[in-house]
Amino acid sequence: MPNRQKEVDMSLRQFIKDLGYISGGATILAGMPWLQSFTPEKAKEIKKEKARIGFIGTGSRGQYSIHAVSAIAHADIVAICDNYSPNLQAASKLCPNAKKYTDYRKLLESSDIDGVIISTPLYLHAPMILDALSAGKHVFCEKSMALTMDECKAIYDAYQDTDRVLYFCMQRMFDEKYIKGIQMIHDGLIGDIVGERCYWFRNHDWRRPIPSPQLERQINWRLYWDYSAGLMTELASHQLEVCCWAKQLVPESVMGMGDTVFWKDGREVYDSVNLIYKYSDGVKINYESLISNKFNGMEDQILGSKGTMNLATGVYYLENEIDRNKSGIEQLISQIGNKVYSSVPTAGASWRPETQDKYTSHQILSGKFNINQGQSMIGALKDGSDEILSAFCQACITGEKGDNIVEEAYQATTLCLLGNEAIKEGKKIFFPEEYKIPYMKF
Amino acid sequence: MSEIDTGYFNYYERSLMFHGSLVNIMGTKFDIIIIGKTNNESEEIWIRIEQELRRLNFMMNRIDPASEISKINSQSINNEFKVSDEMWCILNNCKYYHEQTLGLFDITLKDFNTIQFNKRNKTISFSKSNIQLDLGGYAKGYGLKKIQKILEAYNIDQCFVNFGNSSILGIGNHPFGDAWKVSIENPFNINTIVDEISKSNASLSVSGNTPSYSRHVVIPKSGKSEVDNKLVSVLMHDPLDAEVLSTAFLIASKIEREQLIDRFRIIKAREYKL
Repeated sequence: MPNRQKEVDMSLRQFIKDLGYISGGATILAGMPWLQSFTPEKAKEIKKEKARIGFIGTGSRGQYSIHAVSAIAHADIVAICDNYSPNLQAASKLCPNAKKYTDYRKLLESSDIDGVIISTPLYLHAPMILDALSAGKHVFCEKSMALTMDECKAIYDAYQDTDRVLYFCMQRMFDEKYIKGIQMIHDGLIGDIVGERCYWFRNHDWRRPIPSPQLERQINWRLYWDYSAGLMTELASHQLEVCCWAKQLVPESVMGMGDTVFWKDGREVYDSVNLIYKYSDGVKINYESLISNKFNGMEDQILGSKGTMNLATGVYYLENEIDRNKSGIEQLISQIGNKVYSSVPTAGASWRPETQDKYTSHQILSGKFNINQGQSMIGALKDGSDEILSAFCQACITGEKGDNIVEEAYQATTLCLLGNEAIKEGKKIFFPEEYKIPYMKF
Repeated sequence: MSEIDTGYFNYYERSLMFHGSLVNIMGTKFDIIIIGKTNNESEEIWIRIEQELRRLNFMMNRIDPASEISKINSQSINNEFKVSDEMWCILNNCKYYHEQTLGLFDITLKDFNTIQFNKRNKTISFSKSNIQLDLGGYAKGYGLKKIQKILEAYNIDQCFVNFGNSSILGIGNHPFGDAWKVSIENPFNINTIVDEISKSNASLSVSGNTPSYSRHVVIPKSGKSEVDNKLVSVLMHDPLDAEVLSTAFLIASKIEREQLIDRFRIIKAREYKL
């Protein structure tokens, strides 16, 4: 465990520390304040302390996080809770010393717990977060924030009135390639942002096996509107967060379409969505998700006047590098203009249309880094999830709030919910005034 | 009606260089670089060339039902169809090439002898019902020959014409070299070059299969497609000869190739196994 801890936790901490040595590093951190205290020095400072963590919801994602937190030196898992016995038993095997609960309210009554990690279906987020904050616990909750706009606002308001820490698992905010890529965008590498394209494709029915029909909605909660907001909150929320982070604005309107085109198995949520979000300056986010074809995988693509940043795959392309790959005739023109005589690669059996393959890809980070293919329902390795859990556990000790995390989660979730509303109403929806918070810039 | 996109042109004052370009012309792209003329002179030549290419594109486009070749295809089955003087010359020229290439060049892709020529009325007819004429292996070479004449009429002595990469005409020499040098790319590995050819007052034609455009050359005698991954380049003074010969060479046997070399004035012909 300690070795893994070092690997998981220290990589991002060192990356943040290194920003201090590079030109503009301070500016980067100022623009990403949630990273300010996630440094090697802070890790040393809290070395001998441990956050006492309770888990609420120990299904597949909860167990994934139990693995991650078990590897964090400054955390102890002291309690676990689930009302579905097989999940609780499975989690108990992972942390046998943790006290077991079947009612989360009983867990919240325990004074031996500093913070809770909530990994439950979306419809339970709001009541559990609000109860946990009321009980004086620090809270980490999986995305998205909540099932309705009112619930999101209630959580946001509660957070303004508490000194407790609240984190949402917006793990891209702790993913090195996103941090560096967004920094490059804000430094002007790809010019003005002129468009954003995000997509998430899978070929999976999104179902889990159920031991009896009575448990269908409890286990396959993602498929029903009373429990979930479908593809938007489960997948799009991460990507819309990135779009706003890159653009430093929030879209003011959205239109969209959603349907069940393939998995017609009684589910209520869509298995195919296409939406367009529009910023006040006319720039648009084109969002698409489909779970009956995985060919395109997943990407968060920021289109600039001078280049394109593919954040999910960690590469970027520059428009002006097309010159390096000029067609034969363009090379000849260039040669003559520069008084050069040499061969031009133009002859062949047929003309090849000039396509995107002439762009040169550049890695955002040097060396090896992980790419989330987007196919797992549970989580991906090194996608920032472990780091954000570590930051939360640190915050449980220091009591320092994570700047902007709640606000970013709030705007991402509300945009997702508005997207669903636009789909259901079949019309363009503007961001409602009553749900705007000071953090949002339109 | 034709499928020609608007062309564009540019003049580079410092180099006295004119570049004209058309996309979607005869199913490909056309580029010309003219050296040593003023902007106005170059534009005048370009207008002539563009008009000529649009005219030929319309005449030889068998997809367009209004084109002359389409009308021939639809109205010549057991029927004497009167063709224009130019088309009469083209079809007779194709007949000549068919004979001279030992039947390897065949615009019917099946049986050229089913075309009946009536010299007196300049009519043609097909003696079988499943015959269609396809000028795909001829049109670009014919177009280049027409353009060559326009360029001669304007006394152009330095010019580079690229018709879809597979048909390239070089007149005179590169302003800073003694010829025009082009390299031939391996279509199955676009970063590798299979040959480099220098040419002056000559036309290069390249035929072969590519990953996206394979099996397009039909062997008339068998009716089957050439399937080997290979390229053939032919360099000749006459662009139309080069166009016809590159297709014929691609499907010719070793003996047939030797006969073709005897019959035509070929500067250079090469085959590349890919």
